[in-house]
Amino acid sequence: MSDERKRTQVADVDRSLYDFTKSEEGYERYDDGLTPEIVRAISAKKDEPEWMLEMRLRALDLYHARPMAPNWGPSIEGLDLDHISTYVSPKTKQAKSWDDVPEDIKDTFERLGIPEAERESLAGVGAQYDSEIVYHNMREEVAEQGVIYTTIEDALHDPKWEPVVHEYFGTLIPPTDHKFAALHYAVWSGGSFVYVPAGVTLPYPLQSYFRLNAAGAGQFEHTLIIVEPGADLHFIEGCSAPKYYEANLHAGAVELFVKDGARLRYSTIENWSKNMYNLNTKRATIGADAKMEWVSGSFGSHVSYLYPTTIMAGDRGTCEFTGITFAGATQDLDTGCKVIMNGADTTASVSTKSISKDGGVNTFRSSVVIGRHADRARCSVSCQSLMLDDISRSDTIPAMDVRNATAQVGHEATIGRISDDTVLYLMSRGCSEAEARTLVVNGFANPVSKELPMEYAVEMNNLIKLEMEGAIG
Amino acid sequence: MAEKDLAPELTLERVNVAPAQTWNRLRTNDITLTVPARGRKGDVYFSLPRLFEGVECGMGREVTDWVESQAADARYIEIPRGEKREEPIVVAVGAGEVADTGVMVRAGAEATIVVAAGAGEKNGEAGTSASLVRIIAEADARVHLHEYVGVGAAQQHLESVGISASRDARVDVHQYLLGGGTVALGFACDLAGERARVDLGCRYHAGGTEILDINEIVRQRGRNTRSELAYNGVLEDAARKGLRTTIDLVHGAKGAQGNEAETVLVLGDDVVNKTLPTILCDEDDVAGNHGATIGSVSPEQLAFLASRGLSRTDAEQLFVRALYEDALMHAPCPEARAVVENDTKGQSLCIIEEA
Amino acid sequence: MATQLLTVSDLSAGTEDKPILHGIDLAVGAGECHVLMGPNGAGKSTLGHVIMGDPAYRVTGGRIEFDGADVTELSADKRSLAGIFLSYQAPVEVPGVPLYSFLRSICQMRPELKTTARKFRERVGAIADQLELDQGFLMRELNVGFSGGEKKKIEMLQLLLLQPKLAILDETDSGLDVDALGIVSRGIQAYREQVGGALIVITHNTRILERLEVDRTHVMVHGRMVAEGPAELIADIDKNGFERFEKCEDCGGCPMVGDAE
Repeated sequence: MSDERKRTQVADVDRSLYDFTKSEEGYERYDDGLTPEIVRAISAKKDEPEWMLEMRLRALDLYHARPMAPNWGPSIEGLDLDHISTYVSPKTKQAKSWDDVPEDIKDTFERLGIPEAERESLAGVGAQYDSEIVYHNMREEVAEQGVIYTTIEDALHDPKWEPVVHEYFGTLIPPTDHKFAALHYAVWSGGSFVYVPAGVTLPYPLQSYFRLNAAGAGQFEHTLIIVEPGADLHFIEGCSAPKYYEANLHAGAVELFVKDGARLRYSTIENWSKNMYNLNTKRATIGADAKMEWVSGSFGSHVSYLYPTTIMAGDRGTCEFTGITFAGATQDLDTGCKVIMNGADTTASVSTKSISKDGGVNTFRSSVVIGRHADRARCSVSCQSLMLDDISRSDTIPAMDVRNATAQVGHEATIGRISDDTVLYLMSRGCSEAEARTLVVNGFANPVSKELPMEYAVEMNNLIKLEMEGAIG
Repeated sequence: MAEKDLAPELTLERVNVAPAQTWNRLRTNDITLTVPARGRKGDVYFSLPRLFEGVECGMGREVTDWVESQAADARYIEIPRGEKREEPIVVAVGAGEVADTGVMVRAGAEATIVVAAGAGEKNGEAGTSASLVRIIAEADARVHLHEYVGVGAAQQHLESVGISASRDARVDVHQYLLGGGTVALGFACDLAGERARVDLGCRYHAGGTEILDINEIVRQRGRNTRSELAYNGVLEDAARKGLRTTIDLVHGAKGAQGNEAETVLVLGDDVVNKTLPTILCDEDDVAGNHGATIGSVSPEQLAFLASRGLSRTDAEQLFVRALYEDALMHAPCPEARAVVENDTKGQSLCIIEEA
Repeated sequence: MATQLLTVSDLSAGTEDKPILHGIDLAVGAGECHVLMGPNGAGKSTLGHVIMGDPAYRVTGGRIEFDGADVTELSADKRSLAGIFLSYQAPVEVPGVPLYSFLRSICQMRPELKTTARKFRERVGAIADQLELDQGFLMRELNVGFSGGEKKKIEMLQLLLLQPKLAILDETDSGLDVDALGIVSRGIQAYREQVGGALIVITHNTRILERLEVDRTHVMVHGRMVAEGPAELIADIDKNGFERFEKCEDCGGCPMVGDAE
């Protein structure tokens, strides 16, 4: 009987908050597909240095030469690169004031609550609309400390920063890394460049928000962050898109350089629409005594391949990864993380949660590699998966490779469902079954949401509520 | 040298493959083995009854085919309905020997099966030995499987097991993998019937430059099936170990529970220890748990053992010794004992006169 | 007076970041029975562990002499072989090592206890019977999944097997039910009678002392020895508690009570 009670049909969730589209009229949209001509056109439009064009063309060759990885995770057969536009740009200049942003785009970000968040709790904001950043601004007192927060395009036009970008860009995630990294480097556009000078602590987070409005398009932003020794930064990334029936592609790259004694917290709330292929690559390298913290909430996309990687190069570094993935109907999300521990006395802890519902598929995939020289390295991995019905799926594939006799590794994984007793208990106290289940799921997600700034935790809980709605008793 | 002197060989790529793969660059998805391939043209070979073909084996189809092509006649044993067979079914293989065994345990019957690899060998002998055991456990059957592997440093052993368990069948498995140049073990158990259960305890030791590769798969298809898998190993010197375990909670297996736990003691500076503990879940009313602890002897344990007179080296050797003693004490037959007694490490620990 | 077995002089020790023991003096003669009492957090267990040579603690001053030799710098395993035994309040779990293998190993380390497997099994069997321990325990992993009482009995089993010159029993009586307590205290008695070894009993429960003939009683408060006296001091503490010793702390130096009274 209880089986019947739970198998209720859920109508498509109301995503009206995210699900609105704006006309593309008057936009600059490049032809679909991938040719050297398109790559040259993107580069020319951005008036890039020669080395960048060369890198793009090299990456394009790599992309064409590379086969798709066989037997890897969820299928991406629905993705046809010949019918994805790699560059779509609104006809507008980057603005420093929301008043200068075109009305329809401004309205989009207003509805997503970005300007409001900026006023209240951020040190700086960047907003990308399709392929280009349309707004970028940072508080003056932060700029005065020498913090740079701009687009990579702008940094490349600044004689002071061009050599820095040249030195770091594409070194942590090389174009040879995998097929979609090659694609990224061929057609990248937009994203952020952040530089925090030694010893500077930012009082508030910086945030970049990525919105993909155009149908059948790709977003390939590149984020490059350098946190110099002893500096401290919290960077927040948000993503969303309206739903189309054509496939969209997100293949961004995030390269994070955290120097000795520095700290970086990188928080992401990803809510791409469910026609999105989210094949994103994120990687950090951290120095001695440095700290890398990842907070990651994945709610959207049709298919995701997302495994933020931390390379712990220096001694005594620490890495924390806290993540949650919610897979609902039509979603196949392959997420997790990688940690490579090479320094002595390094510490890493990974804690992930996944929720599967309405036929959604979750795969938690991780790798922990402890190198030969990582004396006394300690690592703990914990993943918990919640199954909300019997048509969904949840796989846990954690790999560990330990090559140091003094290292200590602990791992635990559990998969289960909400116990009937818990639901019954809450119902006996007056909750409807749907409320009870939402309550339990929120509690399950709580260790992740408490790592987020207040407004984002609220957003995450709203997303969970949206996903849970319709689960009537 | 004439070409015909070279023994024909076959390279089996992607052996011991886990059902779910991960990054290839970690090199933890499978193992590649080179095995002898004697031509058998003209030989008459007695194979197992056809229904054994449907039993999934841990090392995979390729190894099954290879064993069938190399083994002397397959051995088929049937335990009649309701009968308890006291005498163990022993499969003993030495260097160069390949055995293909099928056991049918009829409803309510009980059998003990022992695989002993390396019982009668002299040290320094080279070659490849292999055992393929397929077991069909009918409703309410009881199966006790003991696997003892301790072959020489120059040897290679392949051990593949496939079990199909019907309603209320219970299988307990005791694996002692004591060493060998290359030891590859694959185990697959299909808990097809309701309330079928497997309890598996695997203890392993690898030292020197030994390679140990293990792939274990439990498919839980029946309702209220249960699997309890426990691994406990010690790695020394420059041993390389890969352990892939998969608990597959198949759709429909309501009430199923699968638990897996591994403890690895890493004692050598050049050890490579790879672990891939996978849980696949396609059902909501199930519980799957996994835990792993990898490291050296903890400071608390060292302090406690020191207070009883054991130095760090003594304490570390205690773990190795305990493993061999455990193997010896639980040996169900002389052939299994002989594997422990014949093992070089076992001999160096002087446990033989002990028990 | 018996010959001196253990002499702790002006001993200070603590963990990496926190001093715990301050200028401790303690002298135990061969075969004597001493009781170490004090409120929670007084440092009694720490003293036991420091005498044993637990690497979790660092000695910052003073010395420990045992059986005529300075053992202050000696590692715990060497002290154990020299004849010191510490019964843990919470014995450590050692998965992967059956109790039997462990016992056999710790006996084979000692020339005086080295014996054949058969004789060893007989001895272990006899002691296990004495402690009402089922022999099935021998096949189980050391301390893994044992109840508190079972763990304590296994500590007693080791005490009787190893026959140390000095046994420090750290709250061996805590968490035991009446039956187990009886068995453990019979074990302690057996050690006294059969081995004739010295004892330091750390406890705040006087029940376990009823069957023992106590030679000296020591009281510790806040990491210092604040009182020493004859067996009668136990009854006094039993009645009046530790309050009056604790008060002493404010006045800096503490008078030696007990003997003076």
